[in-house]
Amino acid sequence: MMGGRTRNALNFVREVGETASSLWWNFFDWLAQVPMRQLVVTWVLALLLATTPIIHPKQAGFFIFVSLGLKILAGGKRKAEIEARKASAQAGTETLERRLVEAQMAALQAQVEPHFLFNTLALIGQLIETDPPEAAKIHTHLIEYLRSTLPQMRSRGNGTLGRQIQMSRSYLAIMQARMKSRLSVSIDVPPELESATFPGMTLQILIENSIKHGLEPKIEGGRIDIRASMDNNVLQVEVQDDGVGFNMYSGDGVGLTNVRERLKLMYGTRASLAIETPLEGGCRAIIRLPFAPDIFAKPL
Amino acid sequence: MTQPSANAIIADDEEPMRDMLRKRLSEVWPELNIVAEAANGIEAIALAGKHQPDIVFLDIRMPGLSGIEAARMLFNRCHVVFITAYDQYAIEAFEQGALDYLLKPVNAERLKVACTRLQARLGKQPDNIERQLSQLIRQTTGKPEREYLHWIQAQVGNSLRMISTREILFFRADEKYTRVQTLQGEVLIRKTLKELAEELDPNEFWRIHRSTLVRVDAIAEVTRDLRGRQMVRVRNSQEELEVSRGNTHLFQQM
Repeated sequence: MMGGRTRNALNFVREVGETASSLWWNFFDWLAQVPMRQLVVTWVLALLLATTPIIHPKQAGFFIFVSLGLKILAGGKRKAEIEARKASAQAGTETLERRLVEAQMAALQAQVEPHFLFNTLALIGQLIETDPPEAAKIHTHLIEYLRSTLPQMRSRGNGTLGRQIQMSRSYLAIMQARMKSRLSVSIDVPPELESATFPGMTLQILIENSIKHGLEPKIEGGRIDIRASMDNNVLQVEVQDDGVGFNMYSGDGVGLTNVRERLKLMYGTRASLAIETPLEGGCRAIIRLPFAPDIFAKPL
Repeated sequence: MTQPSANAIIADDEEPMRDMLRKRLSEVWPELNIVAEAANGIEAIALAGKHQPDIVFLDIRMPGLSGIEAARMLFNRCHVVFITAYDQYAIEAFEQGALDYLLKPVNAERLKVACTRLQARLGKQPDNIERQLSQLIRQTTGKPEREYLHWIQAQVGNSLRMISTREILFFRADEKYTRVQTLQGEVLIRKTLKELAEELDPNEFWRIHRSTLVRVDAIAEVTRDLRGRQMVRVRNSQEELEVSRGNTHLFQQM
């Protein structure tokens, strides 16, 4: 019996203590977060109350003194805490989003078109019999292309325009071997722009689009022009073809969506992808992004 | 045993592939005359009309007309053998549908089998493959019943800019023109709102007002103003778009 009563009393004391401490921390929190202006209003109220018999002027003075001291001590720390929490939450969602997009990108990039791969292998097989040196050349190009396309094989320093152009040259050399006179290519990239950082695979996607949708379906074939220029620290890369033109009813496609997402992820609104249909026919894709040389890039 | 002689046409847009097939054929069936070679589907039909061959070898992916479309236009006048490096759907269909096909790179053993089959059928009427072909065309092109407009063409400076409908927030009729609002800004096009409403995917854009088409997944919120009208606000834009009385059902509470 005695033990029970003691326990009850102890529980009561503990509850009182907890309530007091939670009240105290609520007060502390309020004090830390309350804007200075509201606090001043509270002080004025306290001073007004002090003129009435409800509160002794000394109590009001004590309240103002203590709350001012606490405000100075706690306010800054509390504010920093809240900001840190908010920032880490935001950073969390951002990393999550970024990781998600990167995973999607990787999945998309892994798609080497099987049709391209099988046709190229068939070509190599045929050239081994008729023209072994040419077969060896195409074979080397194919390896170069796969090395930069398959994500697990992508080497570091892929992120420069020069590197992208180099891998696209391999792809275009293969396509020229297959399409022969139906495909002509010109690449005009000033050497000083080769060190510019450039998101991987974007140029390649535009080139593959031009060939697949513009030039392969065209009976007489055509040409593809790749140009890079710089104006006011904005790097502009263009892929233009004179193929069958643009189908307005076809979806945006995996490729262009991929390019657009990737630019948004890396540069926000500072980069853009524009698709134009020149008056002379065909299709022109233009990427604009801030010029930044990759200082860690290995020279080609 | 000597083999019967026959005439054939090879159609493939890639020259090295034509060379390879011709060489292989000359090894396994020396009596076969390759009377012509075509580089696209249209040429293949023209040459078949001119030479009246017994056999046509058709690559599936060719510019102009695909091999399957070309075969259909030959109206069973000659034996058709398809060639492909990789066409998942077509190969499946071939295996079900008794159509002759070869895989690139063409291997001598497989070619021999195909040639023996062709030789056995030489004097006979070619099979009627119309049904298989039309089925194949439906499968490989895989077109949905209805195609919607996915790109808007707008004059920007000297060239025509293609704007993906994914980038468009809303369209508003603006006297003679239609104003297209994108994340980057706005452009004017001549296409009327009525035409756009008919051509765009109705699940992608909603017509909320006689003069407004709004991208559904760009809608940020719908509010009521003081006069009780529903107003739509779109992400990344300050503009308020009125919902006309007749269209308020679009935003009824679920």
